[in-house]
Amino acid sequence: MNSPTAGKVLKQLASEVRLHSSHPKICSDSQLMKYILSQYERYKVTDQQLCKAQEEMSSLAKTYLCYLQSTRRTAEIRQVYKGKGERSVQETADMVGFKLPHDPK
Amino acid sequence: MRRLSIFRNTLQMLSPLTRPKAPLLPQASSHVVFRCYAAPPKRFYKHTGVLYCDGQYEITLDQRKLKTPKGTVFRVKSEPLALAVALEWDSQKERILQTDMHLSSLCNTALDNPNHIVKFDAVQQILSFLETDTILYQSADDDNPNAQALYDMQVREWNPIINWFNERFGVDLQPTRDIGSPHVSDESKAAIQRHLLSYNDWAIHGFCFAVDTLKSIILTLACVERLITVEQAVLLSRLEEEYQSGYWGRVEWAHDLNQQQMQGRVAAAVLFIHLNSSSVAVRRKDTT
Repeated sequence: MNSPTAGKVLKQLASEVRLHSSHPKICSDSQLMKYILSQYERYKVTDQQLCKAQEEMSSLAKTYLCYLQSTRRTAEIRQVYKGKGERSVQETADMVGFKLPHDPK
Repeated sequence: MRRLSIFRNTLQMLSPLTRPKAPLLPQASSHVVFRCYAAPPKRFYKHTGVLYCDGQYEITLDQRKLKTPKGTVFRVKSEPLALAVALEWDSQKERILQTDMHLSSLCNTALDNPNHIVKFDAVQQILSFLETDTILYQSADDDNPNAQALYDMQVREWNPIINWFNERFGVDLQPTRDIGSPHVSDESKAAIQRHLLSYNDWAIHGFCFAVDTLKSIILTLACVERLITVEQAVLLSRLEEEYQSGYWGRVEWAHDLNQQQMQGRVAAAVLFIHLNSSSVAVRRKDTT
């Protein structure tokens, strides 16, 4: 994993994992982050035999990053546009300037 | 009253899973009318973890072991997959929204196999998408300049992928501009079938999910073979939508939401396929 973007992907991955985790402060000690770092360490060596696996690992890292980003953004968009339920009859009447039968004229 | 009865009928049509247990209708005292969907369960654990046991990985929620919907213990062979599932459970903040946990759902489907699908049948299901592959249907011949621009874009973006696919799998697929489906020879189908059958059962579940989302075998295989990234695959699958929203305007709660949801699904499926394919494990063994 010594392509120029590998470090950037790692940085983004770490930040996404932190955003997803419910314990962001101890996140860097989590099993997942330790695993990701160990994989980066393992595939860092430049060796003819490892070339194909390196490409595979880098695409795997990017796919996982895409997964984390997309699920987070989906949740964010849903949160912003979440419906509050239907309007009551009174509210609808107020919106269009009508009065309900029992309201004073 | 009529409105209430329609509402009750709608509720009865919901599947037993989504149907709330009680109360069926909101109390008459409240002025706001809302639908009663089953509330997602609250988060009942603080920490998630991964355990190694008999060559497989299990997820723990505090001291409890995670189970599948059928009640068997959740066990996967791949460590990164187990870690990713654990993060998914950890990322549920107050309520557990299982509809957004694609990796967990894929593992559950593969573990429980609720529809009792065998690999061969699953591959046939995937192959039925080949004739109606999204990127084989290109914009019809039309005098409208916009239709022509869309067609040019499709030729520019889609045809290189189709050519790569033909070369890679030794098949002969041609795009069409008619409403009739393009002809796919039996040899082509057999070639793709052979390739898909070389994957294991778990990976095939991932393929079903990805093909269902992208509506395209060609894009799915291009993505799994690392010709294109997940983002590119989703963009190519939604090419016409992107073109039209570029012309008519883009709405965040429809177009962006759809794009992000598709990216999440496809990325989960591609990860699932890679992490369950033996090639990764074998290469890893070589390097140790």
